[in-house]
Amino acid sequence: MPILLCRVDDRLIHGQVVVGWGAALGIDYVAVVDDDLFDSEWEQDLYRAGLSETIEARFLNVDEAAVSMPQWSQSQERGFVLTRDVRTMRRLADVGALDDQEVNLGGLHDAPGRRRLLPYLFLADGDVAELRRLQRSGVRVSAQDVPSARRVELDELFEMRSG
Amino acid sequence: MAGLKVVTAVRVLLRSLLIQGSWNYRTMQGAGLGFALVPILRWLYRGDEAGFAAALRRHTQFFNAHPYLSTVAIAALARMEAARASADHIDRFRRALVSPLGSLGDRLVWARWRPLSALAAILLFLMGAPWWVAVTFFLVTYNALHLGLRIWGLRVGWREGPEVGRALVGSPLRRLPDRLTIPLAIVSGALVPPLALAVGSSSGVGPLPILAVALALAAAGAWRPAGARRLAVLGLLVGLLIYITLAASVW
Repeated sequence: MPILLCRVDDRLIHGQVVVGWGAALGIDYVAVVDDDLFDSEWEQDLYRAGLSETIEARFLNVDEAAVSMPQWSQSQERGFVLTRDVRTMRRLADVGALDDQEVNLGGLHDAPGRRRLLPYLFLADGDVAELRRLQRSGVRVSAQDVPSARRVELDELFEMRSG
Repeated sequence: MAGLKVVTAVRVLLRSLLIQGSWNYRTMQGAGLGFALVPILRWLYRGDEAGFAAALRRHTQFFNAHPYLSTVAIAALARMEAARASADHIDRFRRALVSPLGSLGDRLVWARWRPLSALAAILLFLMGAPWWVAVTFFLVTYNALHLGLRIWGLRVGWREGPEVGRALVGSPLRRLPDRLTIPLAIVSGALVPPLALAVGSSSGVGPLPILAVALALAAAGAWRPAGARRLAVLGLLVGLLIYITLAASVW
């Protein structure tokens, strides 16, 4: 079973992910790949609290994910992989963890230096550079916050930014 | 609520009702969070106007949570202010609270409790209760959990402070959404026959074709293997059968 959703979302495990995507696709686990969170137990407790007890929360750093993700995609389990930023997702692509996966941009919110492209998507120049690298490595990227929303392909996002 | 005056707690609780009052895509509930914290911050920083202003600025940055569980964050952040935690720690903690409080509340309230209490009230009405009984039933049951969550959040947040995550992981609230799946499905199922009766007689088709379609849809849905949804559809079927048996014995 390939990983059902590889999502960039600065809120990580939250309502749209669990109720919106989780209920629509049916999942056994949610994995968060984040080097900071990996070392912080009190934050892991908080994120775990947002999931039902029937869904397992997994916290990994990029190095571990490089080993684990290819194994998960061979198993029968259904799950999501979340990162907080585009850079971490691009690093996963670099270590070969995203082979045959698509990337979903689900929520990057306002911060200094970021420009609004969609109500839920604000990108800085650095994010755009990382997205281009992701695209060049052959990963298909699109934006969509909830399953019922329209899916916006990466090229369309780039046009919005230059327009 | 050791150390916190009841009157302050009540004022914070009332202010938390307005947490979405200036919701926006940039800071979301940020301004509402600061507004709700004012009574506690005034008390903590009494005689220190600059300290109060700096604290208020800290708590009007980006924040978002399920509105009913926002009191967990309000009280836990107030507790950290009381302990004079570092601005960095407070900021990181506030950001980490956003997702779990949103997810827990969405699953419990929007996806379970609101439809369950609304459908139960509609069922009551369709079974012959006067409209005002059904409306009152909805408002009372719905808000019992709503206000209960706000008060519980204030208490647990103030008690646990930055350790509130552990309390949330162990709390029965986490299991509650899953426990409500089957009751919700049964109430939905039980609603189908009286609705079929009402629609069938007003459209002239008769209730039987509509009942048959509903049963077929439920049965088709039960065959889709998607964990909780499959259970939910089975519950719907059970509710339907219970209702048909009851109705048949009355007829």
